[in-house]
Amino acid sequence: MTETIGSQDDVVMERSFDAPVELIWQMWTDPEHFKAWYGPDGATIPVATMDVRVGGTRLVCMEMQSPNGPMRTWFAGEYLEVVENERLVYTEFMSDEHGKVSSPSQMSMPEGHPTTTEIRVDLEDVSGRTKMVMTHVGIPSGSPGAAGWTMALDKLAAYVGTQSG
Amino acid sequence: MATAIDEDRLSQTFAALANSTRRAIVARLAEGEATVNELAEPFEMTLPAISKHIKVLERAGLVIRGQRAQYRPCNIDAAPLEDVSSWAEQCRRVWAARFDRMDDYLKQLQRQRKGRPTR
Repeated sequence: MTETIGSQDDVVMERSFDAPVELIWQMWTDPEHFKAWYGPDGATIPVATMDVRVGGTRLVCMEMQSPNGPMRTWFAGEYLEVVENERLVYTEFMSDEHGKVSSPSQMSMPEGHPTTTEIRVDLEDVSGRTKMVMTHVGIPSGSPGAAGWTMALDKLAAYVGTQSG
Repeated sequence: MATAIDEDRLSQTFAALANSTRRAIVARLAEGEATVNELAEPFEMTLPAISKHIKVLERAGLVIRGQRAQYRPCNIDAAPLEDVSSWAEQCRRVWAARFDRMDDYLKQLQRQRKGRPTR
């Protein structure tokens, strides 16, 4: 393995939608629209608050059905770049219901394993349609190997949650 | 490429990690080798209970027990995760499903708008 964590963990996805950029922008920035698609499968979004301006915060609650009843996971973050209908950049980390970052021990992780990721959305008008490029970047913190691991585990936990429904 | 064997291994990996104690054990081992006693320390659990969790991780290929010394220290083996379920791969799957739903939702919205009488 010679790749660095940074390049290995970047997820870049390109999609084209038959809708104007203004509407796609609302998909990301209007909580009511956002709740309709964000999922993931088997999950609902009971809460989404978004203060869409640079430095503004966001808080999203994901609810999944598990054998032990509904399981709520909170994600908070901050908007880093906001260019209407063009570019949206925000951070994301696991939090409590007040948007306060969860300490690693609360997530059953040893101390020193914070996990923050960054989501970038770029929109481009292509004769009335929209080309969207979404980049999800894992930001390693702590020891390089362990950071990649912890993020994988968080995603696995979420994934396992969706599969048990 | 996902073969039947990979899928089985994937299921086993997920099953092993679908438990907060085992995830904590794996996260602890990501920092370096540890004995069962050391692994048991943060938990209010008996040693046999912790050993049971470690055995599940061993069967899933995520933990390797050393043969030297009577303590048989535990080590992590990241291969099962790296091969079939890297963070990037998980992430890609989740987003792909989301964007499919966004597409459906957009179509639904646009149908509603078109259906509305215009003046």
